[in-house]
Amino acid sequence: MKKKLLLISLMIMILALTLPAVTVLAAPPTQSGGQDYVIVADDWLSKLADKFLGDILSYPAITYYTNQKNAEDSSYAKIKNSDEIEVGWKVYIPSKEEADAYFKKQVSNVGAAGGIKIGALAPLSAPGSVTGGTAMKAAFEIALDEINAAGGVLGKPVQLVLVDTEGLPERGTAAMERLINQDKVVGVVGEYHSAVGLTAKEVAHANHMPTIFAETWNDKITSVEYPEVFRIAPVSSEVAGVDAHFIQSLGVKSVVIMTENTGYGIPAAEETTKRLADLGISATTFSADLGTQEFSSIIERIKAANPDLILVLLTGETSYNFEEQAAEAGIGPQDVKMICNQVADDSDSFWTNVPDGKNCFYRRVGLPRALYTDATKAFVAKYTEKTGKTSAESYAMEAYDSLKLMAQAINEAKSTDPDAIISALEHISYNGALGTITFPYGTHNPIPAGTDAKWWHQFPKPAITMVQYQEKGQSSADAAVVFPDAYKTADPILP
Amino acid sequence: MSQSKWIWGLTIGGTLLLVLAPLKLQSQPYIMHIAIVAFFYAILASSWSLLAGYAGQFSFGHMAFMAIGAYSTGLYGKFVRLTTAPTHICKEIPLGKYWLVIMNIYGNNCLEAGKANMPVGTLIYRLPAFQGIILGALMGGLFGLLVGVLVLRLRAAYLALFTIGFSEIVRVALNAEIKVTDGPNGLELAPLFPRGVHILGYSFAPTDKLPPYYVMLLLFLLSMGIMHWLSISRFGLFIRSIREDEEAAAALGVHIIRYKVLVFVITSMIAAAAGAVEAHYIGVITPNILLILQMSLVIAMAVIGGLESLLGAAIGAIIIEFALEFLRTSFTIGSVTVDMTTWRLVFFGLLLMITLRFWTSGLIHPLIQRVTRAGVAEETVAKRKAAEG
Amino acid sequence: MEHAYYFWWALLWIIGWGAVGGIVTPRIYSKKDLDVSQAALAGTAIGAAGGPFALAPLWYLTPRLNWKWVVVPGVVILAIFAASFAAADPNNLCVTNGPFVATQVTNGLIVGIIYGLMALGLTLIFSIVGIVSFAHGEFYMIGGMAVYYFTVVWFPGMSPFWGILLAAALTFALGAAFELLFLRVMNTGKVERPDEYAILVTFGLSFFLQYFTLALVGANPKKVQRFLDFPAFGLPSANHPTVLKVTSSTVNLFNTISISSPRLTAALMSLVLLGLLLWFLQKTWLGKALRAVSQDRAAAVTGINPDTMNTLAFGIGTMLAGLAGAALVQVFSWVPWVGTLASARGFVIIVLGGMGSLPGAFIGGLIVGVVEALGAGCVPDPQRAAAYIPAYGMVILTLVLLLKPTGLFGREL
Repeated sequence: MKKKLLLISLMIMILALTLPAVTVLAAPPTQSGGQDYVIVADDWLSKLADKFLGDILSYPAITYYTNQKNAEDSSYAKIKNSDEIEVGWKVYIPSKEEADAYFKKQVSNVGAAGGIKIGALAPLSAPGSVTGGTAMKAAFEIALDEINAAGGVLGKPVQLVLVDTEGLPERGTAAMERLINQDKVVGVVGEYHSAVGLTAKEVAHANHMPTIFAETWNDKITSVEYPEVFRIAPVSSEVAGVDAHFIQSLGVKSVVIMTENTGYGIPAAEETTKRLADLGISATTFSADLGTQEFSSIIERIKAANPDLILVLLTGETSYNFEEQAAEAGIGPQDVKMICNQVADDSDSFWTNVPDGKNCFYRRVGLPRALYTDATKAFVAKYTEKTGKTSAESYAMEAYDSLKLMAQAINEAKSTDPDAIISALEHISYNGALGTITFPYGTHNPIPAGTDAKWWHQFPKPAITMVQYQEKGQSSADAAVVFPDAYKTADPILP
Repeated sequence: MSQSKWIWGLTIGGTLLLVLAPLKLQSQPYIMHIAIVAFFYAILASSWSLLAGYAGQFSFGHMAFMAIGAYSTGLYGKFVRLTTAPTHICKEIPLGKYWLVIMNIYGNNCLEAGKANMPVGTLIYRLPAFQGIILGALMGGLFGLLVGVLVLRLRAAYLALFTIGFSEIVRVALNAEIKVTDGPNGLELAPLFPRGVHILGYSFAPTDKLPPYYVMLLLFLLSMGIMHWLSISRFGLFIRSIREDEEAAAALGVHIIRYKVLVFVITSMIAAAAGAVEAHYIGVITPNILLILQMSLVIAMAVIGGLESLLGAAIGAIIIEFALEFLRTSFTIGSVTVDMTTWRLVFFGLLLMITLRFWTSGLIHPLIQRVTRAGVAEETVAKRKAAEG
Repeated sequence: MEHAYYFWWALLWIIGWGAVGGIVTPRIYSKKDLDVSQAALAGTAIGAAGGPFALAPLWYLTPRLNWKWVVVPGVVILAIFAASFAAADPNNLCVTNGPFVATQVTNGLIVGIIYGLMALGLTLIFSIVGIVSFAHGEFYMIGGMAVYYFTVVWFPGMSPFWGILLAAALTFALGAAFELLFLRVMNTGKVERPDEYAILVTFGLSFFLQYFTLALVGANPKKVQRFLDFPAFGLPSANHPTVLKVTSSTVNLFNTISISSPRLTAALMSLVLLGLLLWFLQKTWLGKALRAVSQDRAAAVTGINPDTMNTLAFGIGTMLAGLAGAALVQVFSWVPWVGTLASARGFVIIVLGGMGSLPGAFIGGLIVGVVEALGAGCVPDPQRAAAYIPAYGMVILTLVLLLKPTGLFGREL
């Protein structure tokens, strides 16, 4: 008996698998009323949309209907990418009603499952930076509450699907696959590690998924010019430039860079060395694995090199270990100029781990306190209340902004169509915790010759300042801004 | 029906199921992705169970051999090209009309510089991924041989310690030699089929999951076949006799070291081949794959599946990989929200310990046995009845 | 490195002739029917030190080999190594700067004492329970976490002394409980292959404890204020501290060697604990019983219950790891995964010292501390020096396993 049961169940399983996957698609609105159009030079789909439909952002409807027609009649073009159209193509421009019907269908499709899903990436377990990931998670939750309290997007509540990337590039691929194919998200935001961003952007591109990276600094993420990929974090090479100019302003001649052996640390150290060399400053780089505890040997070597300044590009607890041990060995921030790592911005954690960290400089991304917008103040208030920290880290602000930015883009696109969202993002002007975010260069405004490709879909002006803890136990909110001059609140205290 | 027929039935049924599964799953690339990764872990777990369960060699360096396979093919793809004209700058080997160009590791890219010396219309080929995978397996076997010869005389605890050390040295070196391995950023690899697959009128893009699914499945079935054959052959008998009592086996004339080294080499090659295929599929390989956590996963999969059963370990790996993926979602009990990203690993560790303590032969293996034995029992009853009648 | 080839050729010489000596010498000795127990090791050492010039007379004369035939060539090898390094990189700080080397060695020794304390627990467990605990690093981590939670979070202002004591009690209890629940079964004969079972079950425990702690306390790094603030003074006088200068954070010897005070506190604490442990093992009844069991499990006939001794030994072993963590939580920032590297280092130390040997663990700790310090201090390329820190110990491990698997003080296997 058992044998038969087993065989039958096996057969059923095999049969079930061989059945074709039948999915009933809602019939598209096909009533005619639109017109055919042949592309001429200098046409952009959005231009056509503006001309015929009166709305720049409704070009996805043209793409959609043309591809529908192409299925029946091959004289119509097949548009794979709305940004790439060729002269001579025959496209179908829908009537205003058709276009509206299309956008309504878009909205109702995603609305059917109870809400609009946005995917988020963050490292929530080791070897990723769990500190960063947890902060980003809290920020996402605040943004989500605000979006839904304001009525969601397109009148539907937003659901956030947060996936752990563990800081591993291969997990980044899997996480993106899952968000896109399993959870059917309409856009992806977040991520902390550049290494993950580098692989995730490939999946985003292959699936045409609008993605806003929050804290991935690697230049290559935007310089490949993928239409789907946006970034609100600063670009690594620009940050190196800020560091170099600050170091120059202190009149330093020789620098030791203590960096981490990761996808963030190594290129950052190389770029900084290059920038410093341009300014006539020599730099030596020491690197260590993340998780290194014992630095005394390296510190002795640094001591022997007798640098004017030490720049710490280690992150997490590894940076704390280095900074405190350096202070105990007599080359701490009170003895030598030291730019501590940006994780020092979490001041509670910093003072617990580096009690001798007075006079540490560190780089802060985001508006200086004096220029906080109402949005920044509101976010910082909510964030500090939620987490019990004394201020909000830059990556928390970036995570918050990335999600709210995506929500605003979908609302402005009036659709969850990827092309519409991308177009909306390219034209967006969003006021958030980081200030007013825009993306000047993209398909609507190609990068001019001579400008670096890294500015593609890149928020050009994340404010970067150098601050200094001038008193022991100071909260990061009170730390003095010492560079650049435009934001300066105090002179640097030098050893 | 005898027990072995049952096993055959199950095996063929299971294989058919895996072969036909994409018909249903093709529209869900995420599931396909997990399935491919699950096969990868199944290969690792079952080959580790051959090494540890059958031969009693507790190596913690299995992931290191996997990484050696992956990096071999990666570096082969990064530094070796086939051209139709010589560069005169790089190291190159003429092969008839072609030149095998080996790019220099340090300094400027000599191929780029050498393009000046090449006539217009010269073709530069990247060598196919399958050559790299075979090379990876061979390199895995070579390192397996070296390590095996050096350490397999050691007792269990020493072997475990040494292989942890070996794995750590490999990881650190891959991390630090940035010029060669691209360090922690990871080495990028070409897809398995860079130009996609065109077969029987169907076309698959390079990013399509179907071709890699079948490649990994084929590798899985192939390695299971080889390992199964090994375990039932005289060879399997020998290695089990070594495990049970080394001295007695030696007294009976089993050349212990030779067999230990052989099983080490074979399992290393299997792991390396799996690593190479996986790396081409994912497209990037980083030294973090060697973190002890990853090795723990493989060990736990083998133990929970059944350390002394290849099939048990493989099924255990597949189930656990799917479970770990789907358990990522947090849930709420009353007012407490359990953040599953971390807790799933806690439960997983606990499951590993409890399985070891109370179900020495794993959780899956006994199930397989029960199903197959059930048939035997039924048959016995039938025979008795027949005898009575 | 200006003349790197000096170094690499010397290294090739050492490895090549060492291998020749190690492989050929035992064959020659066994052909001549001589004692071969030391032949492989001594052959390797002599070959590596003198190459063909030393091997030829050795093979011809075949003297009786004892430990002197290993130690003397060993010193020569070190000399060749150092000389070729100095020739290869004459401007290296390790060559030109004496105080620099002295500081590195002192730092290595100080850290080595603490490593030794941790490895002591591991080796104690091995000598009595007969297993290598792969969860040792996690007990080290829990020791540190416990001090932080007791003295900073739950009872702010509690003296570190009580914090350390509570951490010791906690790690002892956890270790003993684990032994009772999971390891005792090994002695009942119900487990088919006890060695492998022990490896896997402690491995599982390490996985469980690490992620359990992470789930409970999160990933924010923690640290405890330094236990002792040293009073500031100087020798011979406070104004001219040419011999000794003490500030609250550093102790400075001869104006060249500086040791941070938390580190010194931790090392002193380790020495005190070491003394207590020796006293316990040598002078108390329980300690003697433990040693009796470690020598012969049949001690049961004399009225000692080996099961109880196992539990006790495992508990004391994990407690020592916990204490090492408690001592270091004021030196390093503490996160749930600090145990991973620490336990790898513990393995290196006990293999080097000889599994089961208490003095071996202590001396092994010092050697590993110094080698890591010199490795990170002397490797010329600053990008690689620190990145390879975890590998230095592993190189020692590999060499010991290849040349003398019993370690420095191990019993014969």
